[in-house]
Amino acid sequence: MGVPAFFRWLSRKYASIVVHCVEEKGKECNGVRIPVDTTKPNPNEVEFDNLYLDMNGIIHPCTHPEDKAAPKNEDEMMVAIFEYIDRLFNIVRPRRVLYMAIDGVAPRAKMNQQRSRRFRASKEGVELVEEKDRIREEIIQRGGYLPPEGVKERFDSNCITPGTEFMDNLAQCLRYYVADRLSNDPGWRNITVLLSDASVPGEGEHKIMDYIRRQRAQPNHDPNTHHCLCGADADLIMLGLATHEPNFTIIREEFKPNKPRPCALCGQTGHEIKDCQGTAREKQGEHDEFADSMPASEQEFIFIRLCVLREYLARELTMASLPFPFDFERSIDDWVFMCFFVGNDFLPHLPSLEIREGAIDRLVNIYKDIVHKTGGYLTENGYVNLERVELIMQAVGVAEDNIFKKRKEDDEGFKRRMKDKRKRMKVEQRGPAHMTSGQFAPQALGRRDRPEAVQNARHQAFDMRMQSNKDAAQSLKATIKNGGNSSAGPSGSTDGRGMKRKADDSDSEPEPEDNVRLWEDGWKQRYFKTKFDVDASDDDFRKKVVQSYVEGLCWVLRYYYQGCASWKWYFPFHYAPFASDFKDIKGMFTDFEKETKPFKPLEQLMGVFPAASGNFLPTTWRSLMSSPESSIIDFYPDDFAIDLNGKKYAWQGVALLPFVDERRLWAALADVYPNLTPEERRRNSMGSDLMFLGKSHPLFDFIHELYRTESQESTEIPAELCHGILGTLNLDESPILPDKLVTSPIPTLRDISQNSAIGVKFKDPHFADEFVFKAVLLSGAKMPNKVLKPGDWEKGNRESWRPQLGFNQHRQQAHLDQSGFRSLGHSMNRNQRGSGGQYSNTPPPNAYQQGNYRAPHSGGHQPFQHSRQNSLLGTPPSYHQPQYPRQQQQQQRQQQQQYGGSGGHGWNRATQSQPSAYQQNMSRGQAGQGAQGRAAPGGYQQRYDDRRDNRGGQHQGYGGAGRGYPAPPASRRYEWN
Amino acid sequence: MANLDVEDFIQQNRAVADEVETYRGYWESDKHWQPRREFILRNINDFEEPHVDQLLALSMVWANNVFMGCRYSTELLEKVKEMAEGVVVEDAPVFKTRDEIMKKQQGQ
Repeated sequence: MGVPAFFRWLSRKYASIVVHCVEEKGKECNGVRIPVDTTKPNPNEVEFDNLYLDMNGIIHPCTHPEDKAAPKNEDEMMVAIFEYIDRLFNIVRPRRVLYMAIDGVAPRAKMNQQRSRRFRASKEGVELVEEKDRIREEIIQRGGYLPPEGVKERFDSNCITPGTEFMDNLAQCLRYYVADRLSNDPGWRNITVLLSDASVPGEGEHKIMDYIRRQRAQPNHDPNTHHCLCGADADLIMLGLATHEPNFTIIREEFKPNKPRPCALCGQTGHEIKDCQGTAREKQGEHDEFADSMPASEQEFIFIRLCVLREYLARELTMASLPFPFDFERSIDDWVFMCFFVGNDFLPHLPSLEIREGAIDRLVNIYKDIVHKTGGYLTENGYVNLERVELIMQAVGVAEDNIFKKRKEDDEGFKRRMKDKRKRMKVEQRGPAHMTSGQFAPQALGRRDRPEAVQNARHQAFDMRMQSNKDAAQSLKATIKNGGNSSAGPSGSTDGRGMKRKADDSDSEPEPEDNVRLWEDGWKQRYFKTKFDVDASDDDFRKKVVQSYVEGLCWVLRYYYQGCASWKWYFPFHYAPFASDFKDIKGMFTDFEKETKPFKPLEQLMGVFPAASGNFLPTTWRSLMSSPESSIIDFYPDDFAIDLNGKKYAWQGVALLPFVDERRLWAALADVYPNLTPEERRRNSMGSDLMFLGKSHPLFDFIHELYRTESQESTEIPAELCHGILGTLNLDESPILPDKLVTSPIPTLRDISQNSAIGVKFKDPHFADEFVFKAVLLSGAKMPNKVLKPGDWEKGNRESWRPQLGFNQHRQQAHLDQSGFRSLGHSMNRNQRGSGGQYSNTPPPNAYQQGNYRAPHSGGHQPFQHSRQNSLLGTPPSYHQPQYPRQQQQQQRQQQQQYGGSGGHGWNRATQSQPSAYQQNMSRGQAGQGAQGRAAPGGYQQRYDDRRDNRGGQHQGYGGAGRGYPAPPASRRYEWN
Repeated sequence: MANLDVEDFIQQNRAVADEVETYRGYWESDKHWQPRREFILRNINDFEEPHVDQLLALSMVWANNVFMGCRYSTELLEKVKEMAEGVVVEDAPVFKTRDEIMKKQQGQ
């Protein structure tokens, strides 16, 4: 789904759906790499059955990575892809099926988006090369140094489209890869590998969905299969929910904003290409060769647990006292449907619904408000009830006017704040007008190393005086030169002096012009005028747009729940209508055209490529894209308009590209079809999914037998041989067979002489065209344990709630023993002496105040630390019971005695607030011994290192190791004498 | 060919006019379709049957340029402008192409 904001919104609102992956790394011994044994239990404490890879999410970062140097050639790209799959396999460790799906030809509905992406990508690529050349020239003329230009050609990412040679090679390489791993990797020994390459029509994730849907519709399917789907698209979440499988997890790269990118020219980080100076890289320390590889540059993975999302949604969507029985599964389908209003790959989103503005919450509220009016669910098994949808749309329509006004207000408020902030930053940068220097330089409070006693004060004062005299003289000179008007006093700032002050608002960004002004009366007229170039009175046209959009909503939902209803349908406009335009939509849609066929791969290339990417096509086909005599030349403009549509950058705007007329495309291609070589004809034909197995798989002998008897007809898989997976097998023409050499398509990798894998064509189980896949839980499905804290937990007056962090509720917590804490405290102390922890020296003001509470009887001056600090220290992630609760309590009691702490006392306040925010809330207001015990069991252990120094600096050890979290920085300490 | 002439022509050549009507794109408003239809009718005599598609392509090149802001090669644009001589478009929308936006943003 083209909505990057969707995932961010989801993971913020429903934080517990995210679980960080535990990844076991391969070890190296004497230069020999020891691979991870993936037959061992999964370190994430969960076992997955099936792993599905949406391969395009892997191919793109492996072929043109954004955060590291690009691979030099195609072979390196392939190896990078193999390594990426290995990594995922190691994390997920599927036990039954590995399904790899590469995007094949997509439905026509997707073509507009693909076109716009590829037209832009092609232009961006050319621009980057031009900019590089220009800046390279400048730098070299200035005498700068740049690494020699690689001879390699620019990788045109447009070749990641079905039908290109690159995709064909990739399919070959993956077959080799699978055969190799099945033969050599013990973790792969028993799994079934399915490969759906670019020659099989359909988008990758939807091919995967089709597979799942068809498997679960047949009686042998195991309803408790644990699925894991890899991919970063937000719509995978929708797809996962749409399956109604109880155990569904998504794995994706952790999203990290603002990662440093290396400069495209010199390969160093820290600046963008336009600021490249061409300076030689400075040697960085002793191990210079590592300086380039960024620390922690490797992407981490996260799991997204859909069963937890379902728990959240159950809370949000459950409605009481309905006129019809509440069915949670169906309300999920409605939720998925409403998310489509906010954005999807096939339709532009409604102008009034922005995910950043809480559009989904708004929709859910409306949905619940008017459920009595609608009298039922909006959708069933992927079919839409338009009458009810109209009610929702009308309710959104009522609010539309206010939404636009509020958007404008928020926007201006944001701009105002940004402006103020910039002003503030400027002032801060300038610093105070006068600053003492040297020994008199100001020192932050509370730091460990106190300033030393002042020596030779008079001399220092003299120096300072001289310096400020010099400054004053300089600034006076500058003032004279500029004819007055300098504000620079005798401050130490040297920048900006002698420069004319710029106009006040010079730093505010130029505004893209907006003729629609949705916040002003008459917005609807203006919108239709500027976006569609029609008068608002043209009701027929508006109806046409609405009807197309309604068809679109039906198509998209059907696509998610039943598969592609029509390969032909598409939304023939660049913009959506308003919600308030959805009137009388009930009769607007009946059904889609039946028996539509997807494009052939090369046809689709003609449909989505700009003329500049014509090199991926045969010569005569290519000339159709550029010759003025071509009968389809209008599909290929050299440049096109971009409507910024209120956004700032070209890539955010709407690309106004003409739509492709299929009839004319095919007519034009009919003339050049005979020019295809046999090789190209093969690439243009539809392929089949492939199934691969290793020798020890129960199905192996069955398939081997098929090859020996040269069986010509299709054969069904016997359900008992393959975990209840069904499908139809056909012999492959150039199969991978055991004990037959598999030649390596990559020169750096060896041929497989001892192959023990077998490959065969695979087809999903077939169902009649009228068959409706039911969107329900299957009987026999066991729901996973609940993860969220029950709403009535406190009422039950039970022990304090322990949030679950991983997959396993009863996870063993790693811990440190006494000596561990000692050495931890020791080394952290030492660190602190040097520079101080990140927050160690700046207590918030009120903490400071409360912190100086003095324990009544102890002679030592013990300032207690106050709570606020803890949230600054970064709350530790886990609060499982400590290993030695008794011991810890004991210790605390001792401390209490020592410091004479009792109820309502400063000490109590301090300890109670040690745990993180959520526990803090629970234990707030409770005092005395009882509260002590309850608040204490954090992964923290807290004690006073009396032995070391009697002033008693406070240390916190952190027990929740094992997850690779860094220990929180040591607490600050005061010195009070 | 003013509007009246177009109507006249359509009256006299029903078959051709009906044929041309099938070339209308679903997304085309009256305001966009009528000038394109005129463009086609004006030139249809120069494009006999197997070449009608080429005329359609040229009409789209012209319409995309005028109503959507697309740029094509100068050669092509000059050709279609010539063919469109006499077709009146009132109140044509104004666009910024991608190249123009990029140039402007770079200039800053």
